[in-house]
Amino acid sequence: MHSKQDKKPSIIWFQGLTCNGNTHSFLNLENLKNLLDKFEILSHPSLPSTQNFNTVLSCTLECDIFIFEGAYDPLMKRNDTLVSKIVEYYAKSTKHIIALGSCASFGGLFKASAPDRNSGLLFNEQEKSGPLLKYESKVINISGCPIHPEWLAYTLHMIAKGREVEINKLHRPIELYSTLAHHGCTRNEYFEWKVDADDFGEKEGCLYYKQGCRAPMTHSSCNKILWNEVSSKTRVGTPCFGCTEPDFPRQNLFATKTNMSIPEDVPIGIAKRSYLTMAGIAKTFHIKRLEGKLIDYKTAD
Amino acid sequence: MARITKQERRVSIILAALKLFSEKGFYITTIPDIAKKVGMSVGNFYNYFTSKDALAKELIMYISEYLGKSIREINDKDIPTEEKIYEIVSMYFNMADERPEMIEYFLRVYLSNREVFEDGCEGMLCVSAFVTEMMMFFDNGVERGELHNQDFFSAFGLFMGYLGGMVFLFGEKILPEPLEWYKESISQNIYNALKTR
Amino acid sequence: MITKQLIDQIEGEASIFFDIKDNVVDFATIAFPHFRGIESILKGKNALDALVITPRVCGICGHAHLMATVRAIEDAYKNAGYPIELSKKITIIREFTLVMEIIQNHFKWIYLTIIPEVAKLNNSTKVQTPLKGAYAASIASKAIAVFAGQWPHSSYMIPGGITADPTNIDLLKAESYVDELISFFEKESIGVSLDAFLSFESCKDFNTLKSDFSYLESSLMNIKMNEKGFAYDRFLVIGTHTFSKPSKLKQTRPFSIDAKYVTTVDTYSPDQASYAKNAQYKNAFYETGPLARAMAGNLKIVKNMHRRFKDSAYTRVMARVFEVATLLEHAKELLSGIDISQKSFLKSVDISKITARGVGVVEAPRGPLLHTVDIKDGLIQEYKIVTPTQFNIGSSTKTNPTPAQKAMMKTTQDEAVFIFRTFDVCSVCTTH
Repeated sequence: MHSKQDKKPSIIWFQGLTCNGNTHSFLNLENLKNLLDKFEILSHPSLPSTQNFNTVLSCTLECDIFIFEGAYDPLMKRNDTLVSKIVEYYAKSTKHIIALGSCASFGGLFKASAPDRNSGLLFNEQEKSGPLLKYESKVINISGCPIHPEWLAYTLHMIAKGREVEINKLHRPIELYSTLAHHGCTRNEYFEWKVDADDFGEKEGCLYYKQGCRAPMTHSSCNKILWNEVSSKTRVGTPCFGCTEPDFPRQNLFATKTNMSIPEDVPIGIAKRSYLTMAGIAKTFHIKRLEGKLIDYKTAD
Repeated sequence: MARITKQERRVSIILAALKLFSEKGFYITTIPDIAKKVGMSVGNFYNYFTSKDALAKELIMYISEYLGKSIREINDKDIPTEEKIYEIVSMYFNMADERPEMIEYFLRVYLSNREVFEDGCEGMLCVSAFVTEMMMFFDNGVERGELHNQDFFSAFGLFMGYLGGMVFLFGEKILPEPLEWYKESISQNIYNALKTR
Repeated sequence: MITKQLIDQIEGEASIFFDIKDNVVDFATIAFPHFRGIESILKGKNALDALVITPRVCGICGHAHLMATVRAIEDAYKNAGYPIELSKKITIIREFTLVMEIIQNHFKWIYLTIIPEVAKLNNSTKVQTPLKGAYAASIASKAIAVFAGQWPHSSYMIPGGITADPTNIDLLKAESYVDELISFFEKESIGVSLDAFLSFESCKDFNTLKSDFSYLESSLMNIKMNEKGFAYDRFLVIGTHTFSKPSKLKQTRPFSIDAKYVTTVDTYSPDQASYAKNAQYKNAFYETGPLARAMAGNLKIVKNMHRRFKDSAYTRVMARVFEVATLLEHAKELLSGIDISQKSFLKSVDISKITARGVGVVEAPRGPLLHTVDIKDGLIQEYKIVTPTQFNIGSSTKTNPTPAQKAMMKTTQDEAVFIFRTFDVCSVCTTH
């Protein structure tokens, strides 16, 4: 028995309808051990746990933090026990509920497995109508497909320190979701001067005009807290697919939706008329440095 | 008599210049001609515009903003795209009728003397207000599912080229009927060409 | 009497229903319960959207799914009369990131699954170091992210190439991650240089080692895993790669293969609904994965083990460890072969012009992964995925058991569960 002072907050990490992507993303955390040392892991899908899975299912444990990964399917069973029963039990008894990933936050990809039935824990896409409405004040959504390990680490560290994680309307931590994925993108200069990427596979050009990039319409820190400490989608020329937002996954992900060549969606908070005025003027200037190749390698013989 | 403000004086120069440029042509019109028409000295003219080229650019922005403002009023109405087309055509033809110098200037000066507008007035710089409003019009039409989604310039060229052509014919006195008479059929043609297939 | 055992801490969840007679497994059936319906989710979508959706079949091998999708779409382009020629650079970078994903997978499996499980069976009190697996996997993921932007769930492979256009700085970064992995592997996992490890020809060479690997090896011997866990001694490799060659092996005899002979049949799982169809080749079960690839690739040390211990659980586990070694070396070779001046992407016609079927086959960590897509005017009509776990595990009848079912027979229940895990179970892939 631990004394009250050295009792570490306990975690149950439980999965609904999932691909394990958040689990594996979390294992990439730098200094994972430092974080884990601060908690007691009662149950986790791949890390050593102090309780066996059937004990978790028996709904006799208590935990401080209940992490739910995957979409919520009210008919799903884990080893013959309804997930709805397990979620209700832990939601009631725990202090913090973390809906981990876009499936748990909003329904995400696996909402589509049974669109009429599946949802996130608190939200069903944009709408706050999930099964944990009663426990709303406990729920923190960390959306993303998958989550960045630092996003979860930040949230857990704050909880361990007894500090409040401030959240926004969609219950996402404001420190992680106030900026856009666009923020910090290495292609920003091309966005400013409206230089489109001609095609995939190039260092040059912005992916917003043709390739479907959702970064200016997506709340996330992907270009601020880099992926695997190395890069991000847009840095390697892949458009942002908006995977942190409630409408993920959208359709036609590799093409920008346009109306008569005019982008249907413009950066968040900017009136379309203002955007078009600015874009039209910026497009007028032909800037040689941005139109050519950044680096011209000598072709090997 | 109330004192004329600097801004009012500026507008009067613009209006006078518009008339002269479209009647006599850009190159033939001189600064003294313009100064004379507004009743000011040539020296005083330079307090308003540094050169004839600078004035020329100012004029096109004046027209673009005037058109932009008029189209925006139509865009802001909650009416079907088909009706908006009629209103834009109507606004344009009325303008050609009542203030022919504006359209004349656009067609005969701006489009015909590109060398004057090369520096600082190229591309969208001076016509942004007007083109942006047309973008808003097309974007909304597609979003409402009323216009066919296609390339912007293909649609823009069809719409504005058509109107410009009609005004040109009107100016040349080739049209047998007044512009008013063509509003309905031309709006219908534009809508038929652009509508959802 | 049938007893059910839940298997967790695999990729997803599975249930095994054991029929125990005289203290050994007489027969076992397997159920994979959580259906997600990716194939139907894909229906009607733009074919390129599959590049974003299919990696999300699986958190641990999503990159293999991405590659299977890109190969399937490129095959459809070819079948529609628009063949796509990839530059050498594109091919190498795709191979490199796939290889790093396999390495990432194996490290996790070694440290988070197999060493702890073998310790349990040995009643060993050895201090477990699962985070070593996570650490090594995170370094491999960094090497992937250099080109793919992120791992998991990258979509950087697209028909015609890759989205990235790397610089020498990127290549050097990737090389340094591979070097870091190699030194970790040498110091922590095997206790000998990679070159020396790769030159081993016989199990006797392990005797001098003192490392996580030697612990694993001797523990497997101690619980006689070299005498248990035999499947059919038939192997299947279908994906064509720089590190594997497609073939079908009966014992050690190779035969040529063609992916068109892969079929799926319903599972036999009387005690619980299962969403895993069994995958077969010409109506027969084959084992797939690292052991199959080592046999097809004539890897001397694994061939030697196989001569002595056949397709036992021991050989299966060892083949996985050795695959880490061979792939680390191969990853270095791949990087040194990249010419950055070559194109990253070659444009072809728009996807909306494509009406055709395409098949993409990839060697995923656990074996062949097949994606078949039917495209009409750029839209997906049908999408079909066959995963390695469907070949290895599935669930069939007693008279015609799957490789995993066969391997569990005549062992104790605890041994059977361990043997089950030697196949590196991926339930999430299987219940796509």
